[in-house]
Amino acid sequence: MKFRIFRAPEGQNGGGDPTERPRMGGDVLPEAAAARADARVEPRMEDAEPMTGPTVVDSPPVGPIKIAARDVSVFYGDKQALYDVSLDIPDKTVTAFIGPSGCGKSTFLRTMNRMNDTIPGARVTGRIAMDDEDINDRAIDPVLLRARVGMVFQRPNPFPKSIYENVAYGPKIHGLVTAKSEMDGVVESALKRAGLWEEVADRLQSSAMGLSGGQQQRLVIARAIAVNPEVILMDEPCSALDPIATARIEELIDELRERFCIVIVTHSMAQAARVSQRTAFFHMGRLVETGDTETIFQNPRERRTLDYITGRFG
Amino acid sequence: MNQHTVKAYGDELNQITAEVARMGGLAEAQVADAIDSVARRDIALARAVVDRDVKLDALHRDIEKKAIRLIALRQPVASDLRKTLGAIKMASDLERTGDLAKNIGKRALILAESEPMQPLTRSIERMGRLVSNRLRDVLDAYTAAELDRAVAVWQTDDEVDEHYNALFRELLTYMMGDPRTIGACTHLLFMAKNLERIGDHATNIAETVHYEITGDEIMGERPRALPTPDDESPTPNIVTDAN
Repeated sequence: MKFRIFRAPEGQNGGGDPTERPRMGGDVLPEAAAARADARVEPRMEDAEPMTGPTVVDSPPVGPIKIAARDVSVFYGDKQALYDVSLDIPDKTVTAFIGPSGCGKSTFLRTMNRMNDTIPGARVTGRIAMDDEDINDRAIDPVLLRARVGMVFQRPNPFPKSIYENVAYGPKIHGLVTAKSEMDGVVESALKRAGLWEEVADRLQSSAMGLSGGQQQRLVIARAIAVNPEVILMDEPCSALDPIATARIEELIDELRERFCIVIVTHSMAQAARVSQRTAFFHMGRLVETGDTETIFQNPRERRTLDYITGRFG
Repeated sequence: MNQHTVKAYGDELNQITAEVARMGGLAEAQVADAIDSVARRDIALARAVVDRDVKLDALHRDIEKKAIRLIALRQPVASDLRKTLGAIKMASDLERTGDLAKNIGKRALILAESEPMQPLTRSIERMGRLVSNRLRDVLDAYTAAELDRAVAVWQTDDEVDEHYNALFRELLTYMMGDPRTIGACTHLLFMAKNLERIGDHATNIAETVHYEITGDEIMGERPRALPTPDDESPTPNIVTDAN
């Protein structure tokens, strides 16, 4: 007796070789699957409608909030680059901003130390509070703000001066240190914290331009932390570096996290996954989803986030 | 799901999925043919089942190799990562299923030499049909990414256990009634145990499918077969959970 459910289609012997025709489901043949995949017209993420719903917050950040942004929009002339972004950035944590080019992540980063002030026609609305203090308040001096909120750029930009002067410049102009001996200590400690001391201790007076790209980037980080900031913003700090130099910066970021609130914009999703504890995904000027990095990279709730991190658009 | 920007990546993922589906089709056919060979005392078919198992082993190795290659070269995340790991897990479940079907085939060869025992082989057949159905359902759920169907399979594993318990008692009665049947009945008992384990693998696959689709484990207690209160005869498979 034979079971009907096991039967091959008519004309086929049940005792034949089932590897040739798997009798399951109907469309398990790889040829069929391939043909189907080809026939399907896939929607493209680039053509997607901009998200208008609220930001998906997988889980709120734990611990004290350093920067709280509420309904932040940025306009460059008539063009709106950022739409109503609300985000809590926790202290002593690395928060990564990810998203395709032009999604607004760098624009949002730059609002946090008022870098957009320098761009003619740029206008920022909404409220950004650092420790409950509105950073766009008229009473706040942007120069002093930028001492509290340091920034590291994509390309290392040391001053064309000596290594020592690069680090000493900030403390000097802000009048934090006057005595030479004290300054030596500040420079040494900043270089040590940036993991550069061992490599440059014997040539502090030589030009910073003679350092390698990775060393220059660490020097720039040392320069930023020499003024004891509270927040460090990093705009693709590793995109001009080789993998080893990148790994050293990432290790440095992990150490700095104990003392600073760090926000990093990166195009490398693997890097965001490696260095951050919180991730925010931007798309078309909107903050789509934010949550713990683990959640974002394992099981994001928004479809756009999933498409982006799995490499389906961007 | 949108297409990958890197086409080859998407193709590789699809290829792994298609291969798991193909392996599933083959494993299902192996179970079906093994049961058929018992029911019909078909020696040629039983031999074919035994010989064909190497194909499942080869597919298993191939899927594993492709999945590891994909992880190394593409660094899949989120749903792609679950899909890749799911393929590895399913391939080993299906490989085990194939081994168990092969074992049934071997026993069918031995049984074909002794006296036919119609009512018993029919019970094995019924259980085989149930298990094979579950396997097909869960594999369909996999290819179509149907969550409900996978959960339905997961929730009904107790049916297989009940069948197994009933068959166990039936075989016991036979053996007590006529000790000359002990040899053949033992083979049938092992077949039943094999089928029960194949059912467990189907349940595992259901869990894998659920994880692949949702990213979460199936929550809650799975129903278990329990002995009826007035039941005095021994019931295997209640305390131990081969899953």
